Amino acid sequence: MRKTRLAAFFAVLLLALASVVAIGCGGSDETTGGGGGTTSEGGSGEPLSVGSDIPYPPFEQGKPGNYTGFDIELMEAIAEKMGRKAEFQDTSFETIFRDVQQGKFDAAISAATITEEREKAVDFSNPYYLSEQALLVAEGSPFKELKELEGKTVGVQQGTTGQELAKEEIGGAEIRPFPEGPDAVNALKSGTVEAVVIDAPVAQNAVEKSGGVEIAEKIPTEEEYGIAVAQGETELLEEINQGLKEVQEDGTYKKIYEKWFHLEPPKAIFTATHEAE
Amino acid sequence: MSEFFHQYFDFTIMGDHFSEILEGFLRNLLLFAVAVVLALIFGLFLALLRQLPGKKFMPLRGITIAYIDVFRAIPLLIILFLISGGVPYLEFLPKDIRIPHWFGQPDPFWYAVVALTLVYGAYMAEVYRAGIEAVPGGQVEAARSLGMSHGQTMRHIVVPQAVTKIPAPMLNEMISLLKDTTLASVIAYSESLLLGREVLAETFNSSAVMLSGLMFLVVVLPMARLVDYLIKRNQGKITRGAHIEVA
Repeated sequence: MRKTRLAAFFAVLLLALASVVAIGCGGSDETTGGGGGTTSEGGSGEPLSVGSDIPYPPFEQGKPGNYTGFDIELMEAIAEKMGRKAEFQDTSFETIFRDVQQGKFDAAISAATITEEREKAVDFSNPYYLSEQALLVAEGSPFKELKELEGKTVGVQQGTTGQELAKEEIGGAEIRPFPEGPDAVNALKSGTVEAVVIDAPVAQNAVEKSGGVEIAEKIPTEEEYGIAVAQGETELLEEINQGLKEVQEDGTYKKIYEKWFHLEPPKAIFTATHEAE
Repeated sequence: MSEFFHQYFDFTIMGDHFSEILEGFLRNLLLFAVAVVLALIFGLFLALLRQLPGKKFMPLRGITIAYIDVFRAIPLLIILFLISGGVPYLEFLPKDIRIPHWFGQPDPFWYAVVALTLVYGAYMAEVYRAGIEAVPGGQVEAARSLGMSHGQTMRHIVVPQAVTKIPAPMLNEMISLLKDTTLASVIAYSESLLLGREVLAETFNSSAVMLSGLMFLVVVLPMARLVDYLIKRNQGKITRGAHIEVA
């Protein structure tokens, strides 16, 4: 009798344990599914995986798991409006559009200018930033304009609009493409290149953080930055556009912009739209 | 699967960019040619320093061993960054040495030459050492008892025999060096990988990068076969030698 009771006790215990494990598993599935809910109000969507080429301060910077910057904070705010949580992955800029198209990420935000060439690979959201290029030179440098650098050595970041601009404007210069923006700025500081053509905010950041360099000229390029998604992801694109509109309307956009650029956002950005091709 | 082939083996893209990738690859070969000669000389120099006899040369031996250890331990990529980013700041040097443009080559070329020479000099010193240590001790003893100095013994007896024992491992180091010339792309030296990545940024297609890889394959494969042949020939010699001794 005693023995059977003991056996029954263990059987019940085992059953209880098994059900706890089963519930536990089911429960944890639910929590991962609603993971966005912890940071965004009423979030129930899947996490939104976002690719970005980090570092590119002040657009993207920081260490894995703790990324920050204009793009990052803006994307987090947009994702929150969408009821999802943005999860960032560091990637290389040259392959970022291909990776989006192949579905490695849901979206990419990486200070990427909307161009026809890129539009062939991915679809872009409405512009979230209007950009200028800057000619960065060493402090006290005699160079004041891009044109004066004909025949000189000019650093750029590989695969960026700055590289295209340099190729077009000063074809006779030796253009050195560096893998990352900071590498180009370092080459400028060490004197191996005479100037760097790079996005204006990146140049501004280098002036503030690194010193020894100054912006000689700002070159308007009518560049608009967009968030990239895979072609045909119309619904996701609409959600992102809607989220962007909401953060622009409720003042979040302005707050993030001023935090990172120490400037007021240009008025044109609030009305800028882009038709995905 | 077809997407994979399209991404890496698009022959139209390879054809369109063939001449520029080839031009980049020739820059890889140029970098290799200069660096390999310097590294072979520097490596032998290090190996000989390491063999200096007696108490008198102990500090020099110690420094050499420390150098070889340090440069074998630090990744080449980091040495490359250190030299290209650091040397321009050494203001006590004249500008032509800090930012060299000798023989019409841009400064990243020379930084890469220096980095490759420093690191592969250390690797090759170890290969030379293996060769030197493989020369039978009796050879040295015989030379010294004939009245040769340490230097004469090294020059006329040890080194000539040592180098015949190491062509295979040395060729392996050379193959590595050739492939490592692509690392110079990170300091903006326009070699084939950098140009291939530029095509990638333009077209979102990796075929030009793959093309650069194929060019390496074409050059390295014969080198690898040569290594195998040399190893085989060397083994043949040893066995034949043993046979003669028995007879």
